[in-house]
Amino acid sequence: MISYLLQDPAKPVHAMAEGVDQYGQLTKLASTFSHVDNLFYFTYVVCIFFFVLITGVLFYSVVKYRRKTFDQPAVSNRTHNTPLEVVWTVVPLIIVMVMFAWGWKGSLDMTVVPADARQYKALAKQWNWTFFYPNDAVPSSGELWLEVNKPAAFTLESSDVLHAFYMPSMRVKRDVVPGRFQTVWFQPTTEGEFHLFCAEYCGKDHSQMYAKVHVVSADVYRTRPWDTWDDKNPKKGGENLYKSLCASCHTINGTKLTGPTWKDLWGKQEQVVEAGQIKTVTVDEAYVIESIRKPDQKKVVGFEKANMTAFDDKVIDEKRVKGIIEYMKSLSNAGSEKK
Amino acid sequence: MSHDHGIVVPAPGAGFLPHTVAHHFDSPTQEFQSAKLGFWLFLATEILLFGGLFAAYFFFHQVYPETFRLGGQQLSWKLGALNTTVLLISSWTMAMGVRSAQTSQKRKLLIYCGLTLLGAAIFMVVKIIEYKAKFDHGFLPVFGGTDYDQATHQLSWFKDYHNVMVGVQNPSLFFSIYFTMTAIHGVHVLVGAGLIIWIMVGAAKGRFHANYFLPVDLVGLYWHLVDLIWIFLFPLLYLVP
Amino acid sequence: MTTNAPAMGVATGSHDTVKKNYLEISKGFWSWAGTLDHKRIGIMYLIGVSLALLAGGVFAMLVRLHLWKSTGVLFDNATYNQIFTLHGVFMVFIFIIPAIPGSLGNMVLPLMLGAKDVALPRLNLLSFYLWLSGTCLALYAIVAGGFDTGWTFYAPYSIYTNQAVVSVGLGIFLLGFSSIFTGLNFIVTTHKLRAPGLTWFRMPLFVWAIYATAILQVLATPVLGITVLLVAFERLYHIGIFDPRLGGDPVLFEHFFWFYSHPAVYIMVLPAFGIISDLISVHSRKPLFGYKLIAFSSIAIAMISFLVWGHHMFTSGQSSYAMFAFSFLTFFVGIPTAIKEFSWVATVWKGSIALNSPMLYTLSFLIIFAIGGLTGVILGALNVDIHLHDTYFVVAHFHYVMMGSIALAFFAGVHHWWPKMFGVMYSEFYAKIACALIFVGFNATFIPQFIMGSRGMPRRYATYVPEFEGFHQASTIGALVIGTGVALMVGNLVLSIFTGKKAMQNEWGGVTLEWLSPTPPPLENFYEQPIVTTEVYDYTTLDLRTTQTPCS
Ligand code: HEA
Ligand code: HEA
Ligand code: HEC
Ligand code: CUA
Ligand SMILES: [Cu+2]
Repeated sequence: MISYLLQDPAKPVHAMAEGVDQYGQLTKLASTFSHVDNLFYFTYVVCIFFFVLITGVLFYSVVKYRRKTFDQPAVSNRTHNTPLEVVWTVVPLIIVMVMFAWGWKGSLDMTVVPADARQYKALAKQWNWTFFYPNDAVPSSGELWLEVNKPAAFTLESSDVLHAFYMPSMRVKRDVVPGRFQTVWFQPTTEGEFHLFCAEYCGKDHSQMYAKVHVVSADVYRTRPWDTWDDKNPKKGGENLYKSLCASCHTINGTKLTGPTWKDLWGKQEQVVEAGQIKTVTVDEAYVIESIRKPDQKKVVGFEKANMTAFDDKVIDEKRVKGIIEYMKSLSNAGSEKK
Repeated sequence: MSHDHGIVVPAPGAGFLPHTVAHHFDSPTQEFQSAKLGFWLFLATEILLFGGLFAAYFFFHQVYPETFRLGGQQLSWKLGALNTTVLLISSWTMAMGVRSAQTSQKRKLLIYCGLTLLGAAIFMVVKIIEYKAKFDHGFLPVFGGTDYDQATHQLSWFKDYHNVMVGVQNPSLFFSIYFTMTAIHGVHVLVGAGLIIWIMVGAAKGRFHANYFLPVDLVGLYWHLVDLIWIFLFPLLYLVP
Repeated sequence: MTTNAPAMGVATGSHDTVKKNYLEISKGFWSWAGTLDHKRIGIMYLIGVSLALLAGGVFAMLVRLHLWKSTGVLFDNATYNQIFTLHGVFMVFIFIIPAIPGSLGNMVLPLMLGAKDVALPRLNLLSFYLWLSGTCLALYAIVAGGFDTGWTFYAPYSIYTNQAVVSVGLGIFLLGFSSIFTGLNFIVTTHKLRAPGLTWFRMPLFVWAIYATAILQVLATPVLGITVLLVAFERLYHIGIFDPRLGGDPVLFEHFFWFYSHPAVYIMVLPAFGIISDLISVHSRKPLFGYKLIAFSSIAIAMISFLVWGHHMFTSGQSSYAMFAFSFLTFFVGIPTAIKEFSWVATVWKGSIALNSPMLYTLSFLIIFAIGGLTGVILGALNVDIHLHDTYFVVAHFHYVMMGSIALAFFAGVHHWWPKMFGVMYSEFYAKIACALIFVGFNATFIPQFIMGSRGMPRRYATYVPEFEGFHQASTIGALVIGTGVALMVGNLVLSIFTGKKAMQNEWGGVTLEWLSPTPPPLENFYEQPIVTTEVYDYTTLDLRTTQTPCS
């Protein structure tokens, strides 16, 4: 425990790039928002100054003017000293006005998004984060890749309750409010891995609503490291897609969310409603493809009122659909038997 | 600790009871002023309580003007106006009741309180008629159970049924606010009616007279507040849209 | 403050044999449960809020023990969430808001005014029972499935969660009205029941502080009332005002909540300021420096505090204009508080300082509050708050002001007026040890939280990233030390009722009216109506025969 308190601030605490800044108070800054740190340390010094002043006077008085006999009167009964009172009103006033102006200016910097920023989207949901990259079909969940020295702007959306997008090293935080679009931006300046926390209480697993952010060089970024598709292992790729795109509505353990579970789905005889008629279909390749492209065509009985997002081939192309199907097969006894 | 100052002798008149000043007050005046100040403060809290609802009203009126315009048109301004008149008259009868207490007119006090009570009753009956009309037309304050799918389902049904709110955003919000505000106001009317009955019981026993009429005065103030709040509710809900 | 009454004095005390004090005048359960005497109601509050503190403290201990390891040791996430919520709800609504006005305010305010009781004794008893019912509803919620929304019960989570939110909400509604009625009562009492000669500027600062608090209680609490009602309606009837799925706005809820809850932090702290003002004067035996400024700054704080609620929502996406105004006013509210703090320090300067246990608590308050307040100022800075919001830095800030300052001021006041309330003295030795333990333990608990907060440790986390484990462990050890200190303090006080030596009439040498009444006071407080003829805190009038204050 003590070793934590005394640790060398320059040394990273973990495998993370975070670490601690040179004064050991804040996480090491990894974005351009240095005004946060500057103002923080300014206010910090002001606090220490007043704290030392107050404690000093108190200690001195207690030692010096200690009551020795029970009838000892006060040394002075003075109750006013106008110059002193003016000083201790005006000086703090000036100091706090400086802090105010400084903080206000800093916060303006944090709201004006630079024109060359990359536009990402972050979708918050109890209890995970999904990130969508600009002009890119493949999202990622629980992990995010950013390019160093390139401003990144996020549109924040929540599909249930309040959450907050918080990256301590970048000094940014923004609430994610259902029904509203919020934005946040920053420019990472250091390569490495950083924490992304959910900072607004959102229920049971609030503390585990975490994402790891990789800030990488332009060259690495260009390889689209979030796209983990591997032609040799389509099932793995399908599973990843499931996690980032489908897991919010479909489970693989038998419980139903917005949509039916995928457990034992493959090969099942499913009751669906098509054009007002109840039919029975077998869950096969054609049906799954239709479910992905035109989910409203056949509605599963019991889910008539629920809607599924349609995904066209810009988001999930043919080979990825195949991957999802591979993954779905692996979740079902019928699926594996048929093989 | 002598308490000779502590008895308020009844004003001359038949069948009045003396009033004992609470032990910790020095004089009846002090008691009267304390109670009155306390009651004004209580009225301030009431106003702030409704203030929250008014804030919500203005906020949503700003966000969904069309919802409020169409929603307001579904209310019957005639019934609203009728209720406004009833409450205004009852405010006057209550004032006259207080006046009767101050002049030791026991019978008149009872009559005026009775009239005020009648006003309250008419108000509530009209309110029930209004609520019933809303329920019959599906303007329910309750949109489903915990199941949100069901809630939206009811909403679309409600839209089709009337055709008036088609295309309007969140048609339920106007009625939520309407029902919340008028229901909380209605509870106040009922409480006021209860207090007036309590006054009438005391009046019948002869507790209130020119030298002691504090409770009548306070209940009067309360009734005026209930009236005043309605005066704000009526134009905002029925007319402004 | 001298009076024409026989004397502050031994003479008056001798009536004790003739006239019974308020504790002895009647016996039996109903003589307490149905009492209209402000002193007995005060004692009932004192017992009630102390139990609430212990309950809240036990929850705090569970929180701290659970966080010993980064994976959490005691509970699953859902249970942890309930525990910290219960901790917050108990501490805020059930303990700290009623604590000082309910117990010490009830006990001492009428005495200080030279009144026989509060103006509206029946309403006073009603307040207490509202408090009790509200508490019972909150307790009921624990068995009825728990409560996991955090003390802020932000919508829409509080609308969706399947827990006993309605029962806690109604509990808070009742607690709110309890608080409103207490405040209302004190305003009327202060206006109407002051002793002859007790002008506004002769009132002790405790009275001023309670008065300013009362204004806030009356004007801010109704908004909390309507907010919890709306949340209850939202859950029962789905009215949709705060529910984004039905077109409502969760940010509107935040505005409603903080419109009350920011003034509420001053509802909590102003009475503490009052205690500190009075105690520092008595134990330094010196008139308060800048009496009028302290009195007015309480009122100023009460007013400005209505306009700063948005500083809890700097990350919620309010408009830049709102950010500007809220941040500006937040800094502004620090100034009247700075005036107070400096005036207190100036009062100690060149006084005649007795390091009694109440004074030790008072000095601890001055030190801890400086940190708590100044870190509040750090949070007022817009860009810095964006980083620190909802981290342990905020947790540490508000524990410095709530536990470290207000609870300590409450302890100070209880020790100070204990001899007046019960007529007995506790052991000064153990009282001082308890104070030292609490002071040390407190700082050990919350300084690590400042550090991890500024390094990005979010609050309300049942589990956390391992790099913060060291700080959490330091914090847990500190909390155990506070626990020991509080237990010692409570034990010492309770024991003194049975074994303590008899207290003097004016144990500490105060010159405000409460020390003029016999110890413990009789039913109507004074044998004769006191009449005030001198200025407040004039220690030249102190009759040293009535006091033998120990000098250390
Ligand atoms: C009684 C409790 C109490 C008190 C007195 C205060 C006092 C102050 N608080 Fe605090 N606060 C809380 C209880 C309290 N607070 C709580 C409970 C929360 C969190 C709620 C939650 O989210 O759960 C909170 C959160 C909170 C926030 C939001 C943080 C966030 O969530 O992002 C902010 C931001 O501005 C803030 C500011 C202040 C300020 C400026 C003061 C000022 O009043 C302080 C004034 C005092 C001084 C300034 C110190 C004394 C003066 C000197 C030593 C002289 C020198 C002074 C200067 C140079 C200025 N507080
Ligand atoms: C008056 C207000 C008050 C007080 C006095 C306290 C007192 C304490 N608080 Fe509390 N706290 C809050 C108000 C308060 N708190 C609020 C409002 C929150 C936010 C909740 C939310 O997020 O919704 C919070 C949150 C909070 C957290 C953050 C939880 C989280 O975000 O996950 C923590 C963590 O350490 C904590 C710790 C403590 C500790 C250790 C004490 C100690 O000081 C307690 C000391 C008292 C005792 C210990 C009791 C007496 C002793 C005994 C009964 C003897 C036996 C005990 C043992 C030795 C085991 N509190
Ligand atoms: C917004 C929620 C949502 C998301 C995201 C979603 N679905 Fe669905 N899904 C549904 C709902 C609701 C149904 C049932 C109603 C229907 O058939 O349209 C459904 C049905 C299905 C079915 C038919 C299931 C059966 O029991 O017959 C398949 C297959 C399917 N989805 C695949 C996918 C795939 C693949 C993805 C991700 C790429 C996905 N879904 C993402 C909501 C969703
Ligand atoms: Cu999501 Cu907390
Ligand atoms: Cu605040």
